[in-house]
Amino acid sequence: MSVKVEVIEGGVPHTTILAAGLVSTLVCLYLTYLNVITNTELFSFFGGLAVVAALIWGSHTIKVLCSYGIGTGVPSAGMIAFGSGVIAMLLATKFDILAPIVALVLAAVIGFILGYVSNNILNMKIPAMVQALTEMAIVGALSLMGFAALMTGGFTFTGLTMLPAKTMLTAAGLETTYQYSFIGGGLIAVAFLLGALAIQHPFNACLGPGWKQDRMLMLTAECGFLSMIVAAVMSFALISAGSALIALIVAIIGWVYTYGQYMEMSKRDAAAWLDAKPIPEVEGH
Amino acid sequence: MSAVAAKPAAGGAMNPTAMAVGVVMTLILLGICFAVSPGLGLMTLIGVVIGGVLIGFGTHFVPVGGAPAAMGQAPGIATGVAMLAAGAGLAGLFGGAWAAEQGLVVAVVTGGIGGGLMMAITCMMVNFVYVFGMGIPSASGKVAKDPITGDTQAEYKSQGTEGHGLPFISFVGGVIGGILGGAGGTLIYIELLTLYEETLPGVMNITSEQVMPIAVSAAGMFAVGLFLVNAVLTAYNITGTIEGPHDPKFKRWPRSIVASAVASALCGLVAVLIVVL
Repeated sequence: MSVKVEVIEGGVPHTTILAAGLVSTLVCLYLTYLNVITNTELFSFFGGLAVVAALIWGSHTIKVLCSYGIGTGVPSAGMIAFGSGVIAMLLATKFDILAPIVALVLAAVIGFILGYVSNNILNMKIPAMVQALTEMAIVGALSLMGFAALMTGGFTFTGLTMLPAKTMLTAAGLETTYQYSFIGGGLIAVAFLLGALAIQHPFNACLGPGWKQDRMLMLTAECGFLSMIVAAVMSFALISAGSALIALIVAIIGWVYTYGQYMEMSKRDAAAWLDAKPIPEVEGH
Repeated sequence: MSAVAAKPAAGGAMNPTAMAVGVVMTLILLGICFAVSPGLGLMTLIGVVIGGVLIGFGTHFVPVGGAPAAMGQAPGIATGVAMLAAGAGLAGLFGGAWAAEQGLVVAVVTGGIGGGLMMAITCMMVNFVYVFGMGIPSASGKVAKDPITGDTQAEYKSQGTEGHGLPFISFVGGVIGGILGGAGGTLIYIELLTLYEETLPGVMNITSEQVMPIAVSAAGMFAVGLFLVNAVLTAYNITGTIEGPHDPKFKRWPRSIVASAVASALCGLVAVLIVVL
C-alpha cells in the first residue's frame, strides 16, 4: 500500500528527532561509563535517561511507519522493534566499551534486512518501511542497553551476568551463583516488556485526526519515566542503595513533570474539559 | 486510523526475484555460520530456521479477527496476529521448557501440545462470548460451506458483515496453528539452550552448574525475540485479518516461509555468534 493516510502537519521534522534521539541516547549511555572511571555506581541513572531519549525517537518512528496503515495494529511495531533489538543488544554487550556503537551497527543491519524482507518478499511496498524498521531495531537495542545500564551500572556482558560488587546480596555470599544478575535473573525480560509497552502505547493512544506531535512525544516521555521508576526500584537489588535512590528520584521527578505537561496538553487539545472525579462521593445515600 | 480506516492493499502476488534473493540470503547466512562454527553452531542454526519457519507457517492457520471481530463484523479472535502468535508460541515455549531435560522430541511435542491447548481454550472461550454473550451464530464469510462439517454458512451470516463468530474450520485451524507455533518456539529454545549449555562454561570460565541461569535466560530471551520477529513478519504477510486455512489469504504462505527463513537465519546467526566471538 502506498497511499499515506495521514500527513505530518507542522512540528519538528522526523530527521531532526532521529538525529537528536540518536545522539542523546549514545551520549547518555556513554555517561554511565563514568561509573567505571570513578569506580562508583552513581551515574547509573543516565541509562534511564538514554531509555527515555530512545523511546521518544522510536515512538515518532512508529508514527511515520503506521501512518501508512500497515493493517496489523500499532503494537506489532513495538514488538518487532524490541524483538530484533534484544538480539542485537545481547551480542553487542560482548564488546565492552564499544557496546553501544556495536549495538547500533548490528541493529541497523538486522533492521535493514527485516525491512527488505517485509517490503520485497512480503510485498508490503511501503516507502518508509526499510528506514523505519532499521530505526526501530536500533531504538530497541539501545533502550534495552539503557535499562541494563540503569539496573546494573554497566553494559558489558560480564557486568550483566555477574552480581555487581557492592550490594546486600554480595554480603550473603551469593556472588558465585550468577542467578542474581540482569541476564541470569531474567530482569532482561522485564526490561524488554517495559520498553515494548512504552514504545507502542503513545502513538496508539494519540492517533487520529486530533494528533499533535508535542502531545504524543510528551506521553512517550511520561511512559519512559514510568518504566524508569520500575527499573530503578529493581536496581536496588543489583547496585548500591544510594545510586538506586538517585535513579528513583530522577525518574519520579521526570514522571511527575511529564505527566503534568501531558495533562496540560490534553486539556489544550480537548474540545471541552469536565474535571469529573473518578469516584463520586456517596454522602447522603 | 491504522487499525480501522486503512484497508491494507498488499496483494497476494509473489515477487520471484525477491524470493530468490531471500533463499540465497538464507544460504549465505548458513554458510557464514558454517565458517565460524561448523558442527554444533550450524546444527543450532538449522534448528532455529526450522523453528522460525514452523512459526511463520503455523500463524497462517490461526483465525485472526482484529477490531472488526470485536464488533461481531468479521470471524475470528478479536485481536491482532502478533498478539495471538506470541500468545500461542510463548504458552507452548513455557510448556516445552518444562520438558527440556527429557530430550528434544518430548520437549518439542510438549511445546506443540501447550500451544495447541492454549489456542483451543482461547477459541472455545471466544465462541462462548460470541454465542452466549453477543448472541451471534458462527458463520464464515469466505466460503459457502464449512470444508470439514459441510454446514452451509450463508443463512447464518448477517447482512453487511463478513461473517462472525468462530466456525468449526477456524477452530481447527487455530489449534493446528497453536501446535505448529508452540513446537517451533520450543525447538528454537531447546536448540539455543543446548548450544549455550555446551559452550558458555568455556567462554565465561565457570562450571556448567553456574552457567545454567545465564544459559536458560539468554536462550529464552533469544527465543522470545525470534518469536516476535517471525510473528510480526507473518502479520505483515497476512495484513490484518485471516479466517483460517480456508481463507484465500492462506495461499500467501510461501512468501512467509521465505521471509521467516531469512529472519530466523539472521537472528539465529547473531545468537550463535555470542558464544563464538
